[in-house]
Order: sequence, then structure tokens, then C-alpha cells
Amino acid sequence: MVRPYAVKGKKRKKKADVYDRAEEEEEAAAVAAEPEETETEEADKKRSQGNEAEERNGNPIELEGIPMAPAEINPKNGPGAIFILEKASLEVAKVGKTYQLLNSDEHSNFLRKNNKDPALYRPDILHQALLMVLDSPINKAGRLRNVYVRTAAGVLIEVKPYVRIPRTFKRFAGVMLQLLQKLSISAVGKREKLMRVIKNPVTQYLPVNSRKIGFSYSSEKLVNIQNYVASSENSADFVFVVGAMAHGKVEADYIEDFISISGYPLSAAYCITMICQALAGKWNIL
Amino acid sequence: MAKHKEKHHQKSVSKPNPFEAKSPKPGRADANHNHGTAAAAKKKKNKLGPNAVAMKHQAPPKPNPFETIWSRRKFDILGKKRKGEERRVGLSRSLAIEKRKNTLLKEYEQSNKASVFVDKRIGEHNDELDEFDKAIRRAQRERQLKTNKKSKYNLSDGEEDDFEFQSLGALSERDDFEDDGLPEDEDDGTETTKTKKRLAMTDQMDGDLMEGEEDRPKSKKEVMKEVMAKDKYYRAERAKDKEELEDFRQELDKSFTSIVPSKLLQIAEPEMKIPNEHSKKDELSEQEKSRSYFKTFGNLVMVSRAQPSDRTKTPEEIAQEEREQLEHLEEERQKRMLATDVNSDDDNEDADTPSNQKPRPISGDDLGDSFSLDEEPHIKKGWVDEILERKDASDSESEEGDASEDSESPEDDSEGADKDINLGEKSLFMKDWEQSDDDNLGTDLDEEEEEDVSEAHEEDDDADEEEMEPRKLKKMKKVDASEASKKEGDFLDAKKISQDGKRPSTQSDLPYLIEAPKSFEELGVLVDNLSNADIVLIINRIRKSNAIKLAAENRKKMQVFYGVLLQYFAILANKKPLNMELLNFLVKPLIEMSMETPYFAAICARERILRARTEFSETVKNPEKSCWPSSKTLFLLRLWSLIFPCSDFRHVVMTPATLLMCEYLARCPIVSGRDTAVGSFLCSMLLSITKQSRKFCPEAVMFLTTLLMAAKDRKPVASQNSQFCHLMEFKAIRPLLCIHASVGQVDPLNFLTIMDLPEDSSFFSSDNFRASVLVTVIETLREFVIIYEGFSSFPEIFLPISVLLLEVAEQENMPQVLTDRLKDVAELINTKADKHHILRQPLQMRKQKPVAIKMLNPKFEENFVKGRDYDPDRERAERRKMKKLLKQEAKGAIRELRKDNSFLYEVKARDKALMEEEKAEKYGKVRLFLQEQEHAMKSGQLGKGKGKKRRR
Repeated sequence: MVRPYAVKGKKRKKKADVYDRAEEEEEAAAVAAEPEETETEEADKKRSQGNEAEERNGNPIELEGIPMAPAEINPKNGPGAIFILEKASLEVAKVGKTYQLLNSDEHSNFLRKNNKDPALYRPDILHQALLMVLDSPINKAGRLRNVYVRTAAGVLIEVKPYVRIPRTFKRFAGVMLQLLQKLSISAVGKREKLMRVIKNPVTQYLPVNSRKIGFSYSSEKLVNIQNYVASSENSADFVFVVGAMAHGKVEADYIEDFISISGYPLSAAYCITMICQALAGKWNIL
Repeated sequence: MAKHKEKHHQKSVSKPNPFEAKSPKPGRADANHNHGTAAAAKKKKNKLGPNAVAMKHQAPPKPNPFETIWSRRKFDILGKKRKGEERRVGLSRSLAIEKRKNTLLKEYEQSNKASVFVDKRIGEHNDELDEFDKAIRRAQRERQLKTNKKSKYNLSDGEEDDFEFQSLGALSERDDFEDDGLPEDEDDGTETTKTKKRLAMTDQMDGDLMEGEEDRPKSKKEVMKEVMAKDKYYRAERAKDKEELEDFRQELDKSFTSIVPSKLLQIAEPEMKIPNEHSKKDELSEQEKSRSYFKTFGNLVMVSRAQPSDRTKTPEEIAQEEREQLEHLEEERQKRMLATDVNSDDDNEDADTPSNQKPRPISGDDLGDSFSLDEEPHIKKGWVDEILERKDASDSESEEGDASEDSESPEDDSEGADKDINLGEKSLFMKDWEQSDDDNLGTDLDEEEEEDVSEAHEEDDDADEEEMEPRKLKKMKKVDASEASKKEGDFLDAKKISQDGKRPSTQSDLPYLIEAPKSFEELGVLVDNLSNADIVLIINRIRKSNAIKLAAENRKKMQVFYGVLLQYFAILANKKPLNMELLNFLVKPLIEMSMETPYFAAICARERILRARTEFSETVKNPEKSCWPSSKTLFLLRLWSLIFPCSDFRHVVMTPATLLMCEYLARCPIVSGRDTAVGSFLCSMLLSITKQSRKFCPEAVMFLTTLLMAAKDRKPVASQNSQFCHLMEFKAIRPLLCIHASVGQVDPLNFLTIMDLPEDSSFFSSDNFRASVLVTVIETLREFVIIYEGFSSFPEIFLPISVLLLEVAEQENMPQVLTDRLKDVAELINTKADKHHILRQPLQMRKQKPVAIKMLNPKFEENFVKGRDYDPDRERAERRKMKKLLKQEAKGAIRELRKDNSFLYEVKARDKALMEEEKAEKYGKVRLFLQEQEHAMKSGQLGKGKGKKRRR
């Protein structure tokens, strides 16, 4: 109703499908025309030179006269990874006069009063998990496509890979609170949406030829994640479904393969770290 | 009219009825509902005809199933209580329709009517009353009316009558229902009017102040009466005021008399015997009393209030202040050392830029936005480091002192901790001074400086002196934090001198006020044939009597005097039997004076340095003559290194002085043993200068190396390091320091005695001398090693030297002490070089750092509240809010209007349908009639009944 800028609605619509289209275009371009590729290579070269110049201007590197090693190929072209964090406990409640993100530390009395189990309200798990995903080298290298978070209440949240998640839990809680109430979070100084609440089901956002892997301690299939990732198909995108809850099991019907990667029950954050390491190994990201 | 009504509906509809919003209770809401459905049933009754009566007695109709549905919440939010949460949409809709039926429909029905039937029965419009209550009210009303009528004929006051009539008149016009609560009001009204009347009467009795309510013009008598009353009233008022004032004054007096004997006034005025006066007050006349009062008053005015004074500072605070000052000075020094000054130009630009401009890499765990650390921690840390370093340095120095002064007295050892490399100079002085003076001056220098100062203060009986000392002390501290301790020593010395200088001064007749000498001759006349102490005293007196602070022209005088004094110092230093004591005494006033006139001191120093440089460049051309600096130059250089800060990146005096020293070391050929001593002294001076700033002096290191080479025999020099061979040839060095015979013990070198010795003394060719020179060389080298430890070129600079050291250690007649030391230093160099070697990395390709994707920070508010506008522009937010409200209202209105219209349309359609039906019926009837008629006519029959019968 109150929409101060007319562009807003349209922009979002465009954003929603721009992802696939860009990919399609890229694919089409790769298939169709060779000279274009060379062009992009040139552009890459230019970019690297620009970087060098920047370095020279801004912060001189100690080894001045030594030639640069060739720049890596553009990582954006290769297959990527998508993380889905299931059953995250993000719940907003009105505590006293203010709305707060429920967590077991601060609101245990409130939760008990409302006949809820405080042990289930653990947004910190999600915080850790998101930090691990978004700080991982595969994200820095641009191979992370998206992160989706599905709360226990069924709200689906899309998190862009280039979000810098607040480092402290309090700030994270602030962001999540605002996200759940406003349904979107924009970047500082930009109108770009970094996180937003989107429509279920999550499968409509996943790439077509992706491999959906679920993680569960209860699974019979105990594998070494390094080998598992290394042996999988090279061109397909990965979709990892990890539970961000304290107790229970991920229940999602779209999962193709349920695996367990350790004999011990792992925390979500560590599980994600292992996955990211395996991916970095596979894609040779250091 | 219609519009207004509509608005009314909207409001009533849009506001949720409190009864409807609540969960359904069996009470009134249900009754209301039933009532509504009953009304609906009534409407139907007309159509249904005879069945209606039977239906009325049936059970209440089943509730509309739609009305039982509750609105659903999308998300259950804990702890949230929403307003419209418990609303049943179906129910509220049916209620809205009901309301329309009661209001809009009625209006619609009446819109075509010319006259309106108004129901004015009591309680008919009030839904809350039931029939019984209504009946009671009606009965009540009737009875009241009767009583009123009866009272009409009672005789009473006019006003009351009037009121009664009025009320009656009003009653007759008013609606029954609206008058419900009137009786009580009436009673109240009469009562209030009665009291009013009474009040008015009393007022009139008082003095006719109240003006009558009647509007008729007042008579003259009345006016006069009024005026008189007013006058009386004011007079009474004034009298009353006066009385009050009097009371107040008496009270004050009483309190004053109670205050007077109190301590406060006694303190203020001790000589006044107020209590006595107070006791005799009764007998005293009124005049006297008032006089005494004014006297006290005047005294009290004169008494000054207590002034707040600065509280005396605690020793902790004083210490804190001093410490802060020192910290500040150190910080400044650090800054200058880093050469971030504005005046520091071209060559240090690239040195200071990178630390500031380099963007700080953001760690993964960095908080991102607000918590950025802007301050650079290294400056602070640097200061602490500096102090630690200084401690270390002083430790090592003391060690060195111990090592080189094994044979000296323990006092000297303790002194040595505070001193620099030129130990010889100082120690000599100390010795003289101790011999000449009594033993109370041999106070432990290890004691706290503060204690010494206080001690000195106690001993000092001159008041002037006492005042001067702290100021001087402060100035001394300003000189340089690093040299503070050293100077403190000087300072103490000087003070003690001034003490003992006082004793002779009382005997001899030195003038107290001395004009500053304008030329060297004048000074020479003044100080001629005087003892050292007297000379110092004279200088001090000159400085005091011509202090810059006393007069403006004194600055000029003092500048001249400074030049003269410096010249005197230089000449003294050049005299062959060195008057070391006097030189030492002169250092203190020179330092202090250069503090007072820093620019002039710098100019003097630069001038002298320039002269020394030109002189040197002349003499160096002549190969026969020794071009090593004279003792004058050496002393002056040492003096400047005390006066000016050595650690500055760039200093107007110290930079050229250092360069000059380096040049001496680099260009002077080493011919005699004396040259080696002078050179090693220069090296140690350079070391003391560069110790803090860690500037690299290649000349000094090179010179030390050549001395080491000279310590070697001629023979093995050849193959290993051509670098040094070349050097040997260049310097044409002879094995000056080669020890031929075994040396029993190694004495530390006393530089001053060496300077005093003639150039061709046999001492220079003795093995003892050689050994002691070697000791100093080794120790200086060790210090240099420690200083230059951090250089990345350290191994390249020092590794050849370590080889050389080992070679020298292998010499035949080398004493054991020396070989140990040589090996020690070589070991030190090797370990440090190894460390550097470990850290070094081979040359490799520069890798391009992978570029991470750009991360964006999310924007969010602390304590986000939904619905609040977080626009920083308050005005815009406000406007937006109002717009939102307006739009909401407009939407509501439109919705209501639409609903009204659709309702009316429904009603109209129903009416129309009814009419159509009626019309069709009528038409059918008529048509039937006509058909029958026609039929009858055609068939020839006239009777109706017959026709029917016949048809059947």
C-alpha cells in the first residue's frame, strides 16, 4: 500500500527470474559462439590487469618486478552449490511490549509460560550455519549459488550468497526479526534485496539437473564426503539439505539421497564446514 | 441530510460493536441477534400468511452457519494479542445488514412519505429497557407531572416561580424520553439557585458588592453606596496587609536575635560582644539597638566569603602528572623519529606513506561496520616498547660499564649505569669531584631521583635556589626523555657544585649582579684566575641576573652570552691539560641555555659544524697531517648529542653532526695508535646517537672492521675476503693493534688521558693500550650488532666480521679475556644471522590473490517495530503516515457506500419484483375477466356461474 518508489514492485519481479535467464544466456552463448568466449577471456585479462594496477596504486606489493601467475578461469561458469537449511527455528514473538526472535537463552521463562519447549528454540544454530556457508572459500570464489532457509513454521527465506551475515548473534537476531516482519532485507546503501521471504516449495527455485543430497545422522549410508563429492557428476549443481535444528530429522520429499558423513552426530555448522571443504577440494579452491 | 446519515452508518458499522466482538455469550448479544432474526421473520410473515402465527411459537431459528465461522490467523505469534483476532466475519456481516435494515431501510421507506410518525413514548428508543422498566418510567413521569401541576398554585418567591414556569414550559416542549433524568436535575437546579440567592443576600448585607442581576440602570444612591462600600473594602484590605507585614517583621526580628548569638556571626566579628548586647537589649534604647544592628550589617557586608582554594596535590597525582608529561614527550619524540612531520621533506615521503595509506585487510570475524578500530595500535605499543627497550639498553650499558671498568671504584660502577659510552670522561670527573668534596655528596645515585631532589632541597638554604630548582628540573625533563636519567646526574652534580660554590662565595667578594659579557674577552676577564666552582657560580649569576623572563632585551644578551660560553667551552676543550671538571660544570648551563634559546643554539651548532667540515676537507688533502678531529670538535659533538634529540628522523643539528662524524671515520687515514682511540671514541658516540633511531652507519661498522683487521698479523691476510684486503690497501693500514706480547690484565681505556697524551707517546705502542682499544672495539661492535639486528641485510653486513673476529681470536698472544669476548660476539652474530637466514624465502613467482566476491552488509534497525517508518526524514515519514491514514479512511468510506448501495439496490429490486408480481397478478385478473367476458359474449351466455359450471 505504502510504496514510495514506483519501481519497487517491478524490480522484484525482474529479480525473481533473472537468475535462470542469465544462466541460460550464458549457456547459449557458450554453445553458440566461439569468438564471444575469446572476448570474455580478454575481458578477464583486462580485469586482472586492472587489479594489478589497483594494487600498484593502492597498496604496493613487496615483490614488484616479478611477473604475475596467470589468472584463474572464471569460477562462475562452473557448477555451483546450493544449501538448504531445513527446520530452522526462527520464530518471532511478542515478549512484553516488543517483538523478539525467540531463543532458548533469553526467553526460556516466556516459552515455558506458553507451554513450549525452550530447547527447540535455537536460532544460534542457523546463525553458525549461515556463517559457515557464507564465509567458506567456495562462496568467496563465487561457487555458492544461493542459500535457502526453511523455518520450522514453514517460512521459506532466500539468502543471497553475497550477504555478510552479522557476526554477533544479537545483530543476527535483529536482522532475522526484521526479515520475518518486513519479509525482506536490503543492502546498506543499495536497494538490492539480500534476503527475502519467498513462496514455498523450495523445489521451484532449484536448478533442473541438480543433485539433492540430504544429511542425517540417522541415515544408514555412511560415506566419506570427500570421496562422495569427488565421485559425483561434474556438471551438475549440488543441493545440500542440512537441518538447522537442535533435535529431529530433516523431512523433505525432494531429497534424492540421504547420507551420513560421520559416525558421530555433527553440528550443522561443522557438517557444512566438511561439505565446503570437500567442495573446495573438488573444485580446487584454496 | 442523506449523506450525513450515511456517514453515521459507516461509523457505526466500522466500529466493532463490543458485544459482537466478544465470544458469543448467551446473554444480550444473543437476544439481540434473535431479535434481528425475528424481525426478518416478521417480514416474511406477510407473505406466508396464515402460517405465520404458528411459526412465531416455534423454537428460535437455526443460526446462520456462516456466522459461526471464526476468522483464521495465518501465523500464530506467541504473546501477540490482535485486536480483530476474534472476529467472525460472517456474523459481523449479518450484523451490518441488520443495522442497515434499522437505519437505511427506514429512511428509504420514509423518503417518499410527506409526514413522519414520531414515536415519543418514554423508553421506546432505549433498547436496554424492557417492557416493565418502560412502564415504571411512564408511571413515574405521570406522577411527577401531577405534583408539578399542583405546586403551580403554591405561593413562593418570584424567581422560583419564574423558574418553575420555565421548566414547565421546557417540559411541555421536550420529548418524554429525553426528560428521563430530569427530575433529579430539577431538584439540583433549584437547590443551586437557592444557595446562589442566599449568597447574594449576604453579600448585599456586607456592603452591596455584588451587582444585581437586573439590567435596569442604577440610581444615584446605589452608585454612591457602591463607591463607599468599595472604599471601605479597600481600606480594610490595606489594614490587613499592614498587620500581616508587621507580623512578618516581628517574626524576622525574633529569628535574627536567635541567630545573632550563634557561632556564625561570632566568627565573622569576634570583637563584637553581641551576646552581651543581646542580654542588655531590654535596657538599651531603641536607637542604640538599631545602631548596633546596622553596625553588624555593615560588618557582615565587609566580611569576605571563604574562597575555594586549590587543594594540595597528593604525591600520586604529582607523579601521575609527571608521568603524563613524560609520556607526551616520548610520543612526540616517536613521531619525530618516524618523520611524519610536515617539514620533513622528499626523502622520507615514501617512508611514512605506506603505514597510513595501506587499507587494513578485513578479517573474517570483523564486525563489519560500526566497530572499526581507527586508532593505530602500534604507536601506543611503540611507546611501551620504547621503555622496555630503554631498560634493556641501560642494562646492557651497565653491563658494559662493569665490563670495561672492572678496576674502578664501586661508586663509578653505579654511576656507569646512568652513563653512556664516554665513560672515561665521566668517571674522571667523578673521581676528581669525589676527592675534592666531602663524602655526603657521595649519595647513592641508585636512589630515587625524587629523594635526591628533596634531599638537595633540605640542604639548600637559599630561598632563591629553592625556587629555581623545580623549574630547572622540569626543563631538564623536557630535554629528552631518554636522556633524563643521564641529565639528572648532571643536574645533581651541578647542584652540588652550586652548594659548595656558595661557601667560597661568601668568603670571596664576587659581585651578585653581573652584566652578561658581550665578548669572549669580557668573559675571560671575569673568569680569569678563578676556581672552577667560582666560574660556575659566576655563570649562574649571569644567567639569573639576565634571565630572559626578566626583560625583553635580555634574550639578545643571553644569546650573545651563549655564543661566548660555547666559545669558552670550545677553547677549554682544546687546552692541553684538560680542565675536565670545569668542562663538566659548563655542560649544565649550556644545556639549559640552549633550552631557553633553541633556535640560536641550533644556529650556533650548525655554524660550528660547517666550520669543522670545511676545516676537515682542507686538512684531509694533506696526507702528512693527521686529520682526525681535535678534542674540541669531539667535545662539541658530544655536547650537541646531549643538547639535541638524537633519535629524530631529521634534525637540523644532529643530522649534519652525524654525517660529519661518519665522514671522519670514512676518510681519515689511520696512522697512529691515537687515531684508533679517537676513531673508536667516534664510533661509540655514533652508537649512542643511533641507538634509539637504529639508523645505519656503515662507516662506523667499517671502521671497527678495519681496526679488527689491524689487530691481525700481516700474514694470513690475503685469500679469504678480498673485500677487506681492498679495504686494507685503501686505508693503508698497518697492524697497529696487533698484540705481540702477552698482556697481564686489560685495563679499560681512559679517553681523556689519551687525549692529553702527546701523539708520539710510547703508550700508544704498548700492548696494554692495544688490548684496551680492542676491548672497546669489541664492545661497540656488540652493541652495533644488537642495534642492527632487525635489518634484513644483517647477515651480509656482519657475517664477514664474525669470520674476522674468529681470526683475531686465533692470534697468538691474544689474552684470554679478549678471545672470550671475540668469540662471544662472533657467536652472537652467527646466531642472529642464522635467524635471518631461516626467515628468508627463495625468489618466487608472484601469485595473484584470488578476488573474493563483494559482500554486502544487510541494512536493519535495532529494535525493529513493524509499521514504524524508519525514514530519517521525519517530515516525509509523517506525511506518508497521514496519506496512509487518509487512504485507509477513504477506502473504508467507499466500501461502506458500496455496501449501502448494494443493500438499497437489493431492497429496490425486491420492491420492484413485488410490484411486478402485483402488476402481473392484476393484469392476469383483468385479463381473465376480459376473457371471460369475451367468452361469454361469444358463447352467448351471460351468467358467470352458469358458464363455469357449463365449462366444467
